Amino acid sequence: MLAKTDFKLRYHGSVLGYLWALLKPLLTFAILNFVFSSVFNPRGTGMDTYSLQLLVSLMMFYFFAEGTSAGMSSLLLKSQLVTKIYVPRWTIILSSTINATLIFLMNLVVIVFFFAIKGFMPHLPAILMFFVFSIFIYIIILSFSLITAPLYVKFRDLSMIWEVLLMIIMYASPIIYPLVTIPAKYHQIILLNPLAFIIHFTKESLINNHFATPIQYLIFSGIVLAGLALGIFSYRKFIPKIAEEI
Amino acid sequence: MDIAIKVENVSKTFRIPHEKVSSLRGAAVNLFRSGGYEEFKALDDVSFEIKKGEFFGIIGRNGSGKSTLLKILAGIYQPDNGNVQIDGLISPFLELGIGFNPELSGRDNVYLNATVLGMTKKQINEKFDSIVAFSELERFIDQKLNRYSSGMSVRLAFSVAVHANREILLMDEVLAVGDMNFQKKCYEYFNEIKGKKTIIFVSHDMESMKKFCDRALLLQNGKIVKIAETKMIVDKYIQENMAIDKK
Repeated sequence: MLAKTDFKLRYHGSVLGYLWALLKPLLTFAILNFVFSSVFNPRGTGMDTYSLQLLVSLMMFYFFAEGTSAGMSSLLLKSQLVTKIYVPRWTIILSSTINATLIFLMNLVVIVFFFAIKGFMPHLPAILMFFVFSIFIYIIILSFSLITAPLYVKFRDLSMIWEVLLMIIMYASPIIYPLVTIPAKYHQIILLNPLAFIIHFTKESLINNHFATPIQYLIFSGIVLAGLALGIFSYRKFIPKIAEEI
Repeated sequence: MDIAIKVENVSKTFRIPHEKVSSLRGAAVNLFRSGGYEEFKALDDVSFEIKKGEFFGIIGRNGSGKSTLLKILAGIYQPDNGNVQIDGLISPFLELGIGFNPELSGRDNVYLNATVLGMTKKQINEKFDSIVAFSELERFIDQKLNRYSSGMSVRLAFSVAVHANREILLMDEVLAVGDMNFQKKCYEYFNEIKGKKTIIFVSHDMESMKKFCDRALLLQNGKIVKIAETKMIVDKYIQENMAIDKK
């Protein structure tokens, strides 16, 4: 357990590294915000809160993207710790996702800052919901990492595939566009993707104070928890032989 | 006397594929070809017991299965059959300085390494001075590790390792680096803990083997040739090597 806190020591070495990690989503935000609120200005985005919505959803997506990428490569990057010493392997996976979490927490400051500039105050239940959703993102990251970290050792091209998939997921989630721009019959399908669900309802609750129905929450948490169970199962199956395969 | 480690009928076979597949693309291509592999028996039906407080040596030529055996003891590999019972906290490292980061200072690395070895922050704080004193690196402790010589970092690592307070220590060729003074210090340390801790010692240095180990085990091609008093084992090992040389 303790290993996880001290592994992050490694990253403290580069202050610039952190700065870049913060700048990346911000710059993406600046570009997308400019393109979609000034150049294109499509329907539904003309509203005042578009930039806030974009900011929140981008930060959440980046949390997911950074966390999953780091988690996937964790075992291979720390292969020394796997083959030369015995530490419980899940601590290595866990510690790798902490970095992304820290960056996300720092990004929260940025989000609060922008909300303050706009003078927009979300309702308290919505803010609480936001934190619950953030925890859910972390659970998704963890489940994903538990599955892919051992697989990545075997299949090194997984990271390239994941980069492409991440891009698809980004556009399949209502990040740069609001869900209403899509025909209503597809909404349910899109919301089956837990990340899309989180991003859509974070925006809805923060901006419009509109929440999902209990059944929707139930299905959503069911999917996420099933993913976690799958992650733990797959981790248990692959981890005993991991030292031989690295 | 109590038993610290009990190994029963442990075998370990590695599959060495003719072609290493390390990508999904490769795996897809290989679906249509049968990837052949060779089996290599690294350990074959190995059983032994080590008593608490014993200084136990493992001797064998390169590739005889020593490291595989240690890795199984440390829990890094899972044996194919047989089982291993360990009573007491085992030190999980085989090589010194695992988890050292050259970009960090010696001080940070001590904390990092000690955490990997299972110490809490409080314990490290308490023992920090004595760790540094043992390594004789007081002057350099705040420098980055990539400025250390290899001997210096091994000294630091060894120092952390001996302070980690594990009951069973696995030592795989730990004394190969380090100058004479430091080796002497290590020997003194061995003498000091002898009888208090259980130590499994792997080395090609027959002199230190004879000096410290109570008993030793001779491995050959994954099988135990003999377990006996160290001197007998060392002699046998030298004899066999000479016999092979003659051929």
